Amino acid sequence: MASVSVTTSQVLAREALQEASRTAGTAPGLLTRLLRGTARAAVAVGRRTAAIVALAAIWEVLPRLDVVDPTFLPPLSQVLVAWWDLLLSGELLDHTQASLVRSLAGCALAIVAAIPLGLLIGWYRPVADFLNPLLELFRNTAALAILPVFVLILGLGETSKVSIILYACAWPILLNTIAAVRGVDPLLVKSARSMGLRPFRLFQKVILPAAVPTIFTGIRLAGAYSILVLVAAEMVGAKAGLGYLINYAQFNFRVPEMYAGILTISVLGLLLNLLLVRLERRFSTWRVSR
Amino acid sequence: MKLQIQGVGKEFAVRGADRPFTALDDVNLDVRAGEFLTLVGPSGCGKSTLLDLLAGLAVPSRGSILLDGTLVEGPGLDRGVVFQQYALFPWRTALSNVEFGLEAKAVPKRERAERARTYLELVGLSGFEERYPHELSGGMRQRVAIARSLAFDPDVLLMDEPFAALDAQTRESLQEELLRIWQRTGKTVVFITHGIDEAVYLGQRVAVMTSRPGRIKRVLDIDFDSREGDLRADARFGEYRHEVWTLLRDEVAAASEVVPVG
Repeated sequence: MASVSVTTSQVLAREALQEASRTAGTAPGLLTRLLRGTARAAVAVGRRTAAIVALAAIWEVLPRLDVVDPTFLPPLSQVLVAWWDLLLSGELLDHTQASLVRSLAGCALAIVAAIPLGLLIGWYRPVADFLNPLLELFRNTAALAILPVFVLILGLGETSKVSIILYACAWPILLNTIAAVRGVDPLLVKSARSMGLRPFRLFQKVILPAAVPTIFTGIRLAGAYSILVLVAAEMVGAKAGLGYLINYAQFNFRVPEMYAGILTISVLGLLLNLLLVRLERRFSTWRVSR
Repeated sequence: MKLQIQGVGKEFAVRGADRPFTALDDVNLDVRAGEFLTLVGPSGCGKSTLLDLLAGLAVPSRGSILLDGTLVEGPGLDRGVVFQQYALFPWRTALSNVEFGLEAKAVPKRERAERARTYLELVGLSGFEERYPHELSGGMRQRVAIARSLAFDPDVLLMDEPFAALDAQTRESLQEELLRIWQRTGKTVVFITHGIDEAVYLGQRVAVMTSRPGRIKRVLDIDFDSREGDLRADARFGEYRHEVWTLLRDEVAAASEVVPVG
């Protein structure tokens, strides 16, 4: 189906081109060039989305041919209808909003907590030596394994959910911040010291700006984690949220709605990542070709 | 005397060894105000260690270094250091890199940009103010680094093999330009190199160091009437060159290194 769509667009573009050159006479004018550009763009988009289109096609066809049981994997079109209904009823928006608030809150708190801590650990040897064993222990403990502890101590409410997201997000930010500070080119530090910079100014003018891109990579990872952990966090004692929707739909055997929830969460994760990649690029333009 | 290096030694503790490693031993050297002094020695003779001491980035184990008669106890803006690997801040534009030292000197903001522009112009980089280091060639980066060190107006310019990473052509044009800048600004320059040609071409005096532990073996006066024209074609250039080469040969053999020909 993917290849079909590509060739169709190519054929359409070619026809449009011929049409255009006929109207414009012999000289290929602006319109022709414009159309040629559009055609090229269409081909490019086609190439990039081919795999997704193929997956969608398989998802649609296999249940219809009874290769897989449509009760457990309904065709994509049914899932999309269920998604549309959820959207129209306003339910989807409520769940998405509940999830986003948790994710963003957890992630934001992680940024606020982990960056200063990471800078401290990266900059002061003694702090690093003291905290390192603890860091090693905790970072090798899966966030989800600690989830029950969070629920036990913080209850079933929002606090435990935001906390577990905070916990999961804090690690990539913390570890990247530490690595960023440690990884600053010693020559730059030497150069700044030769100009008489005292430790605080050195930190502010050299360490911090040099560390920003690596820290941002940590934030981008944290963004992905915040969505990944979300589902698990919302499976316990939640009354709203995409994780809750998925879990609840599965429990009540509303399978298309379950898949609708899964799709929404994937797209949400994708969009968040896209946004953070953009931001990351803005903050590290100087890191090109290094 | 601008700089006085008196009986300076530097030792480093080596892990696993009971005796410390001696990088410099009893270095004595005076640098006159406004002179261009080149320091040449076999690799590993402690040239860079000596420069670190002059910059105040390290403390000598023995002896003392005086700048205008005052003991050097740490880094300061009265000395500007130019490193081999440029050491430009990659997140700052050329202009902003030159401004760095001026910020450290607390020069008012408006004056900073103006002065930075002037010094970029001095090194021939007008029009490149807004470029980032990764958008500049090696030679241009080193020009920015030189401008940065000149901008905060130090008395002494300390240069640690600044042209070693550049190709021959760029190196020659930068050498010429450095001489021009030195003549215009009247700075005292201590220039470290392992290239004999470079040492003879640039220096009014060439200090030759021994191999490890580093000491000053001889200080040669390089006496040219003028530095205009093709100095390297001058017969006396060859003589000076040969003299330094002979002084270095034994040291190089001692350090069991390949003869550095620059």
